[in-house]
Amino acid sequence: MPIFDQLRKADPQLRLLGMLMLFGLGILMIGLWWIQIVSADEYRAKVQTQSFRTVRIPPVRGKILDRNRLVLADNRPAYNINLYLEELRDAFQAAYKAEVQSFRERLRTNSCQDATNTAVRTTRLKLSASERAMLRKRARAVVVTNIVTQLSARLELAVGWDPAGFERHYTQALPLPFTLVTGLDQARLARFEEQLVTVPGLELEVTPMRVYPYGSLAAHLLGHVRRDTGSAEGEEAFLDYPLPVYRGVVGIEGGFDQYLRGRAGAKSVMVNSLGYRQAETVWSEAVPGANVVLTIDLAVQQAAENALARLGPHTRGAVVVLDPRDGDVLALVSSPTYDPNIFVRGLSQADWAWLSDPKLRPQINRATQAAYPPGSIFKLITALACLETGLDPSAKIYNPPAPANPARGHIQVGRRIIHDTAPPGEYDFRRGLLKSSNTYFITNGLKAGIHAIIGLARRFYLGEKTGFPTRQEVGGTLPSLRRISTHWYDGDTANICIGQGPVSVTPLQMAVMTAAIANGGKVYWPRIVARVDPQPGQPGASELVYPRGRLRGELGVNPRYIALLREAMLAGVEDPESTAYAAFHQHDRPRLSRFRVCGKTGTAQVMDEQNRVIDHITWFVSFAPYEQPRYVVVVMVESGGSGGTTCAPVACEIYRALERLESEALLASDVTSR
Amino acid sequence: MVRAKVSHFFAEADRLQLAAVAALMALGVAFVYSATMAGEPLGLGQQFAELRFIEFVRWLCAKFFFKQAVWYGVGVAAALAICLVDYRVLARWAFVIYWVSIVLLVAVLVPGVGAVRYGARRWIDLGALQFQPTEFAKMAVILALAHYLSRPKDELKQTAVFAKAVGMLALPFVLILKEPDLGSAVVLVPTVLAMLYAAGAPARLLRLLLGGICLLGALFVIDVLFAPPNWQIKLQDYQRRRLLVYFGRDYTPPAGASQAEIERLKQQQLDDTYHVRQALISVGSGGLTGKGFCKGTQNALGYLPRTVAHNDFIFSVIAEEKGFIGSVTVLVLYGVVLLTGLRIAARARDRLGRLLAVGIVTLLFSQMFINIGMNIRLMPVTGVPLPLLSYGGSAVVSTLIGIVLLQNVYVNRKGY
Repeated sequence: MPIFDQLRKADPQLRLLGMLMLFGLGILMIGLWWIQIVSADEYRAKVQTQSFRTVRIPPVRGKILDRNRLVLADNRPAYNINLYLEELRDAFQAAYKAEVQSFRERLRTNSCQDATNTAVRTTRLKLSASERAMLRKRARAVVVTNIVTQLSARLELAVGWDPAGFERHYTQALPLPFTLVTGLDQARLARFEEQLVTVPGLELEVTPMRVYPYGSLAAHLLGHVRRDTGSAEGEEAFLDYPLPVYRGVVGIEGGFDQYLRGRAGAKSVMVNSLGYRQAETVWSEAVPGANVVLTIDLAVQQAAENALARLGPHTRGAVVVLDPRDGDVLALVSSPTYDPNIFVRGLSQADWAWLSDPKLRPQINRATQAAYPPGSIFKLITALACLETGLDPSAKIYNPPAPANPARGHIQVGRRIIHDTAPPGEYDFRRGLLKSSNTYFITNGLKAGIHAIIGLARRFYLGEKTGFPTRQEVGGTLPSLRRISTHWYDGDTANICIGQGPVSVTPLQMAVMTAAIANGGKVYWPRIVARVDPQPGQPGASELVYPRGRLRGELGVNPRYIALLREAMLAGVEDPESTAYAAFHQHDRPRLSRFRVCGKTGTAQVMDEQNRVIDHITWFVSFAPYEQPRYVVVVMVESGGSGGTTCAPVACEIYRALERLESEALLASDVTSR
Repeated sequence: MVRAKVSHFFAEADRLQLAAVAALMALGVAFVYSATMAGEPLGLGQQFAELRFIEFVRWLCAKFFFKQAVWYGVGVAAALAICLVDYRVLARWAFVIYWVSIVLLVAVLVPGVGAVRYGARRWIDLGALQFQPTEFAKMAVILALAHYLSRPKDELKQTAVFAKAVGMLALPFVLILKEPDLGSAVVLVPTVLAMLYAAGAPARLLRLLLGGICLLGALFVIDVLFAPPNWQIKLQDYQRRRLLVYFGRDYTPPAGASQAEIERLKQQQLDDTYHVRQALISVGSGGLTGKGFCKGTQNALGYLPRTVAHNDFIFSVIAEEKGFIGSVTVLVLYGVVLLTGLRIAARARDRLGRLLAVGIVTLLFSQMFINIGMNIRLMPVTGVPLPLLSYGGSAVVSTLIGIVLLQNVYVNRKGY
């Protein structure tokens, strides 16, 4: 260093001083190197943590559409009025000064009243920290109250605000705006835009609100959402302010939540040393959720709901309408129902009481989530098993009158007498089925054997779930092969033959079973979701198509037997003797103009532990038209009168609606899904 | 005549040092701008474009960076005046200047004359103008001591002369401590020590003095940190706390303190370490290249307190925005000023010039070391400005006078 060389020639004192100064500069240099180079990352992290807050941006949830793309679950803009606190800083400060002024004023007057000379001293006294905090809090309250009063007057709406909530927001979520009004209606929205846009700090915010435009329509199937501040798997966790997003709980909302919810975005808010928002950077935009297209037909669903609702609003029952050609579910009804919008709005006490009614249990999807004894509709399986094992359908069996009630038949199995609802007389296959004779099916079922019956039931996949994606399914029960191999008696087989005993099914399973009979032996996976369509303009997201007509298994039953069964089921509706005749005919003329319906009624007994009958589950399973089945309609009603009187009229009503829809070309007679 | 003298002065001046000083002044204006304009909606260019000229000037006059530039101007003007006079002529007035500054230091302690800011009585308020006599007293002490010590070396061997020299330090030292301004008082100590050493004071006495100062300093620190409350020297509360913070000691609550009191002390401690912590975060987060001019977040968001960012903590702003490269540049510029200053001392015509140069250089070094050291937590927080960079009229003018005195010595150097 040239300067230092010159110093060398000089005296030792200056050299020492020069060395000391270079040494000092060296120390500073090393210190700076340590802090700015070696530990720089540590300090950068500190800057991050102290001056950035991360905020989740909720995405727009995908829609749920019916097969014709009619919207069943939608998003509607909800208008909120927010207060941006960082814009009120000057106002807060001014109000605080005024507060301090008046506080001192009060102190002065107090001391003047004491008539002492301390007045001057008191006014100069410093305020304590807690006093200052109190005055600041009061100043904030004054400012917000002023704004709220102004807002209320201009909007002509009593805007309430909770000072405690505001303080909580101020201390915990200062960088976020404080919401004053939620869900502004159109008129007030216009008024706000006209009059209040210039008020500092107030701003309109639009947030998507989940809405179910048809209210309670298909409520159980659609499911509902809740607001959640947690993070799902694969989402950004550890956010300072995870703004709530909608999460599907059950139903399609629940089962397809991963597609519907989209991906939340995130932004970081830079805050200053007082915690006010300074700037925002969005690092990932929210990606809207995909639309889920159902196989449901809105018109059919409405028709089915209306038909079931005719039994009364407190009816506990279910309806499934299925396309037997491919297993598409056209309607899925459960009753009693509720309006899923209440979960978005917030549950009231009355809502909660209704939802948790122990008897009605409106939250249960009765079409898939509850298993019921099938009763006589199980005779369809018994019938097929008998035919398979060589039953001659024209062979007649005598049904003897019961000793206690000569108008009804009976059968004795072991020491037990099983009553028949059918009158005594001679029964062949057709009459046995249309009159639903217990004696006939128990006699022949015992001949066929329990293994044949259970084996056939297994081919219908009873006792197994249908893979319904709504998080609300039970598999029902069917005795296992192991169960029937030991300690199994004729009495047990007799029970199974008529759909009693240890067998339970869901209405959806029965619909799949009926569809297999209608289509000649194909057991389909029921399909409820046709496809998942990503929102347009989302690169990389591919649509997801669930193919129609996914075969689960073939019955492998001789088509002749199925044809026999279908004829007998047709008679079950059309024969004047049959159990469902009355429901489908008026003054001996069919109520349906075009469809010839095949059906089977059922009335299952629900026993308590002492084997006493405590309730009835009534059923009607059917398909139509007989010639080329396009619809399967299954109706189940708890505590009904009988299958023929309670459920068959509901089915008839649905078929009438289907006929009407087809004739108006609202429903293509050969329903195809894209 | 005057013009000829000035041009002669510049022809002979140490241009390297002047260039370094000019660079530091440029950095000073730039970073005072950055430190104070972060919260403003419009920058300099936009203001110029949007305002009429007269409004623009009015706007400028309220801004720190512009005031700083004005102070540089005032300092340069004062320097030009001084460069007209030979330093030897000036030295004859040394004792007058010394006693005037002592009077001012006493005056500042008188309530009504001295103005209180941030709890310290350091300013003399002349209505439109306020100045800190401390800054000028530092220069006065150096000038007077240089003059006093420039007597023949043999006389310095007398203990009485040595003692008198120490006394010349002690008087302003005590007065400055009284303000209180611990930092400014402390920087005088190495300055005087260096001058005594350079003057060739006997090593025995120097060792004695150095040992005494070290002992006193150690006793002081031990007393503050460890002594029971009634044994402690009476310090300003904030001074004690700063020292406790520097030495990383927890605040000890008095015996029998309530839980609330303990909590309050904890919070107090957190608040008091705040400046240091934030300064350190600013410096550290700058990294190698910094965040860019006017892009420092620590200052803009108010984490580095606005009241100190442009004066005592200006180095943090530079280090954050220009990174290690920027801070080393500042160090190099100071290094140039200091070493050229020592070269001036070496080539001085007489002992007076040599001692003057040594005093000024050591003062600059001490202030710079303490200030930058405090920004990176090597030194406790004291109100010592960073020479030429920190905002502050008195400090800027006094430093520029010091520089011009150095140049004055150089212009009238040996063999010329």
